[in-house]
Amino acid sequence: MHIRKYDFNYGRRSLLKKAALGASAGVLAPLFPLIARADDPAKAYPEELTSIEMLTKGKVKVGDVINANNVEYVKDLMDPITYMQIKDMGRELELVAPITDASKLFGHDMFEATIKNAGKAGLDKDGNVIVAATGEPWIGGMPFPDAKSGLEATANLTLSWGRNNFSLYAIRDWDIDPEGNVTYQYDFPWAELNATARVGSDGPYLEGKKDYLRYQSVWFTAPNDVAGTSFLNTWHYDQRKFPNLVGYLPAFRRVRTFPTNQRFEPLVPGISFFLSDAWSAGDPMLTWGNYKIVERKPFLGAIGNNWDGKLENWEKPVHGGPKGQSFFRTRVQLIPEVLVVDAEPTGYPRAPVGKKRTYIDVRNQMVVDYVTYDRRGDAWRKGEPSFGQFVDGDKVFKDGSGNTAWSFTHVQFHDVQNNRISRFSQTKEITGGYKSRHYQGDEDVYNKYLTSAAMQRLGQV
Amino acid sequence: MTALKFRIAAWLMRHRILAWIFFVLATAFFAAGLPRVQLKTIFSDLLPADDPYVQVYQDHPNFGSPLTLTLMIENKNGDIYNPTSLQKVWDLTREIDLAPGVDHDQILSLASSKARFIEATPYGIDVRPLMDDKVPQTPDEIAEFKERVERSPNANTFLVAKDGSAAIVTATFIERLLDYGDIFKYATSLIEKHSDDEHVIHMAGQPALTGWVYHLEGQMFWIFGVTLSALVLFLVLYMKNVVGVITPIVTSAVAAIWGFGLTGWIGAPIEPLLMIVPLLLVARSFSHCVQFVERYYEIYEQVHDKGKAAELTMGVMLAPSVLGILTDAFGILLISVAPIPAMERFAYFCGFWAISMIPTGVVLISLMLAALPKPSNIDKLVSGKNGGMGAQAILHKILLGIASLSSRRHAKKTGVVISILAVFSIYTALQIKIGNPVEGSNLLWPNSEFNTAVSEINSRFPGVNTLEIILESKDPGGEVRVARQAETVAAMLGLQSLLESSDQAPRASLSFADYMSEGNRLFSGGNPKWLPLDSNDRATNAAANAVMMGSSAKAFSHVTDFEQQHATVSFWYKDNKQETVDAALAAANAAVEKVGRDHDEFSVRLGTGTIALQQATNNVVSRYHWIIIGLLNLFIFVSCSYAYRTPVAALMLMIPVNLSTFMLNATMHLLGIGLDINSLMVAAIGVGVGIDYGIYLLSRICEEFDVDDHDIEGALTRALTTTGKAILFTASIMLVSIVPWYFLADLKFMADMGLLLTLIMLVNMALALIVLPLLVMLIRPKFLYRHDLLVGEKLDLDVLKAANTSLNELIESDAAESRKVVC
Repeated sequence: MHIRKYDFNYGRRSLLKKAALGASAGVLAPLFPLIARADDPAKAYPEELTSIEMLTKGKVKVGDVINANNVEYVKDLMDPITYMQIKDMGRELELVAPITDASKLFGHDMFEATIKNAGKAGLDKDGNVIVAATGEPWIGGMPFPDAKSGLEATANLTLSWGRNNFSLYAIRDWDIDPEGNVTYQYDFPWAELNATARVGSDGPYLEGKKDYLRYQSVWFTAPNDVAGTSFLNTWHYDQRKFPNLVGYLPAFRRVRTFPTNQRFEPLVPGISFFLSDAWSAGDPMLTWGNYKIVERKPFLGAIGNNWDGKLENWEKPVHGGPKGQSFFRTRVQLIPEVLVVDAEPTGYPRAPVGKKRTYIDVRNQMVVDYVTYDRRGDAWRKGEPSFGQFVDGDKVFKDGSGNTAWSFTHVQFHDVQNNRISRFSQTKEITGGYKSRHYQGDEDVYNKYLTSAAMQRLGQV
Repeated sequence: MTALKFRIAAWLMRHRILAWIFFVLATAFFAAGLPRVQLKTIFSDLLPADDPYVQVYQDHPNFGSPLTLTLMIENKNGDIYNPTSLQKVWDLTREIDLAPGVDHDQILSLASSKARFIEATPYGIDVRPLMDDKVPQTPDEIAEFKERVERSPNANTFLVAKDGSAAIVTATFIERLLDYGDIFKYATSLIEKHSDDEHVIHMAGQPALTGWVYHLEGQMFWIFGVTLSALVLFLVLYMKNVVGVITPIVTSAVAAIWGFGLTGWIGAPIEPLLMIVPLLLVARSFSHCVQFVERYYEIYEQVHDKGKAAELTMGVMLAPSVLGILTDAFGILLISVAPIPAMERFAYFCGFWAISMIPTGVVLISLMLAALPKPSNIDKLVSGKNGGMGAQAILHKILLGIASLSSRRHAKKTGVVISILAVFSIYTALQIKIGNPVEGSNLLWPNSEFNTAVSEINSRFPGVNTLEIILESKDPGGEVRVARQAETVAAMLGLQSLLESSDQAPRASLSFADYMSEGNRLFSGGNPKWLPLDSNDRATNAAANAVMMGSSAKAFSHVTDFEQQHATVSFWYKDNKQETVDAALAAANAAVEKVGRDHDEFSVRLGTGTIALQQATNNVVSRYHWIIIGLLNLFIFVSCSYAYRTPVAALMLMIPVNLSTFMLNATMHLLGIGLDINSLMVAAIGVGVGIDYGIYLLSRICEEFDVDDHDIEGALTRALTTTGKAILFTASIMLVSIVPWYFLADLKFMADMGLLLTLIMLVNMALALIVLPLLVMLIRPKFLYRHDLLVGEKLDLDVLKAANTSLNELIESDAAESRKVVC
């Protein structure tokens, strides 16, 4: 006989209570010490929050596929758009077992830095993250591994998007119209380099770049008609300032500056992805406001087991939608506790968005899902990333230090009002010979990928 | 044949319980479909589906901005370059983004971030919103803002009036999420909120028009309520007994339940604008019932047995009722010949409804007459020798006067007058023009808020009268983005150049090529010499990238589709008068020929937009007006020739109804009204109604001719004072009920229909009562002497009464008589 120590709804009640109190993550015990020991995070929760079978009273179990027939049992473990995708659009999710080793929820250097710098972060009078003792910009790792406010949780996302000092993602994008057709398909490398909040042995700051948080660029390599079009985003460390955004068109050899607060439009036609969408923290965090943790709850998120390294070019199978190609195959697991954080675009007088709701896994403080709402309060767009170590059975993809790479594997955006979907896959290689990597090495990546001159050079086709 | 009708009547009356069960079950079945009835306006379904212009529109519904709402903010006392006016533009831009179903990516105004100011600087291209993050307040800020606007060609043409007196805010809606009623309510609340002594806000665009129609539908149903109440009231005043009032109401209601229930079951939405026709059907049902009940009174007065009277009435009225109703139904069904989906659905729905008036208006009514208490005021109602009393007596006198027009003494004079009138009517009718162009929509009055808004917007901006020429990709799923290829761009520019140099040049034109040229200029350094695009794909692709970089494809959905495959070239014209439409289409056709219709990767298709769609509607009217009338005539000719056993009768019946149509068209022409979809429907319905009157009257003339020992003048007088009275009464109550539409309706469509229906029914009634008896008098057709007519009932009530003959005996004697005639 299995004797339960707590009644069935104990965990949920506790999470509900904690959301209002600003308490630490974990129900039976504080979570972060377990994380720091690379222990099983499940120990901080009653079984009902770690076992999908128990949570659904046996209706759904690990290994099942969630589809229109059984989605009702897990409806409250997902956002309303995901529910609609499964119920009405033929989307499916594969349920896998939760990760039991907390360190696998991070890249190696990020995990180390988080443990090392835990407790050192603070917010200055303006709201920027600083080292509390010195007032200096952040020194790497998650500043608030046990975030207790919406702003702290968002700082964890904003300060290091990809959680590597440098990443070059070879992204292949498919854009799907309401009839389920692929109407646009782009290849683009996405490079990002943290200037501050860096991890590993490179030191926390890039030399002479303490006033900047990151450099990030995108340049399109296919199809031919847009090849060479590129964008460079320069982020200030001060999160009240808008990033500088410039674009480059190879045919004219001219740089175009964009309005700094133009964050709610796609970079190129056809993509349902705005700059504001990146990691659900695509804008400087202090240009948004009214951050609030509105709920803590169990959730289904793609936080591991999603790298398909054995498949051709790491490209995932697709399914669902009118033509069977609207969604990537996605493996989700039960996350015992997510923070549900609401924020409003207070710094954008013309924002079409009224509110953004972000679901953040408390174990690694990473976004697993977000939904934006229009100003009427109607659900508008959803972004759903998938993260994990790059391990597929016996196949492993390493970072520059020989550790297993950790990054996003794919991300899907859905504009539900216009019913357009964009799917990004981080692939092995895209047109132009660009390959995904998650380390800087000895290369001068700044000058190679992240300056105006680099844009002009990379844009030559 | 006569025997068969009476046998049917006898059988049904013997099996009354079975018949009642059938009606109860059938009505319950159709009633169960009522909750599924949908009243829905689908504008595209009001367009003729087989028209080439409409096919272009159906293939490219998003060109021509059909889902765009336009708000124009006008400063009555100056220009909009002041903090208050600009604040209104800002507020409306932000608040329209809260409208239900709005596409947040497609809101455009001077205050939206998409209205950009582009400057070439030594460092590159600087793109910023025309208006910064706040409304300009100081004179310097406003001056700078004004300068930016003036240097932005598109903003200066499409977002602010040339004289600066008005600004435009446009919002495009997502069709799937669109609720016209909600949008209208929301937008009108914004207009109310932001209008003041200095500012007036006008609202136009297809969503506004549909919103107005939805808004006025409430009023339409209220007027229908008034009409129905008036019909019932007149019925009460005329009949003054339970039977005479209840039977038309119940039978009409049952027919309505059957008609609506069927549409519910088959799930076809009903176009609310066309609900006038069902109302007319109710009136027609009343009319048939009144004819039927009047005849019942006459028979009851003779036989004094309501069961027997009902049975005899059914036998007598079966053929004329069925024939009359069939012509009604056929008239309505023929509307479906015009390939307009909403009308096709409607014709089937109303046609079924009309046909269901056969069981209800012949059988059910007889069952009810047999079951309900006997009428107490028969003497007053039946205009025997003295013509009744009160209103009945007045009607009787009027009808005696009408009868005298066909008397031997006056027939020739009347004939001359009618002939002159006929020649004049036919000549005038043939001058009628096709189409009723108005500035805005013909559904609403010229001085309605919507049409005023259209007029105001047209006077300050390129306006709403557009012609779209589509460049259609041959491989829309292909990798090549056809809209940005050099050959496509050359075609766009060629069309613009040719049309702009035509005699009737448009006010403005716009294509994706214009944006590309501007992008090319700016990215090449700003000098106007860089406006022309090099004619190679590399150059045009580069220019397309220049304008679309950092933008949603939807920002250009007015010139190219989301996939940049299909494109449109838009031309704005000053008005939509037929001369303008003709000239625009002629010039466009010539331009398309010159540019070439067929290219390697695309075809050039003319066209869509309000100009082309107006022409499409006119085309369907000119193509089908005479076809429908011709087919209806053919049906009447065949059915009436069969019923009266001679084509002479059919021709006699067709003369007054066709003369009515000519008179209607002549009147319309004299009133300055052209032929349009409304008149197409009215003409078809009018012929159906008119022939009813003729059939009832001619049948009665035949009967009276036989009873009155072949005294033709007496027969005509008797027929006119009996059946003619019912015709006069039913036509009068319908007229009195429909006339208020013209005065009460804010929907011009309804008022026009009211006016046209009033005219056609008035003319039909007059011609049925005057021309048909006149023709009988002048021609003295031989079929009057025949006993085997399908509709001419030889029922001698006096004999029946005196001998107390049973119906079976009557049938036997009638059959023997028929045999005798045949021998």
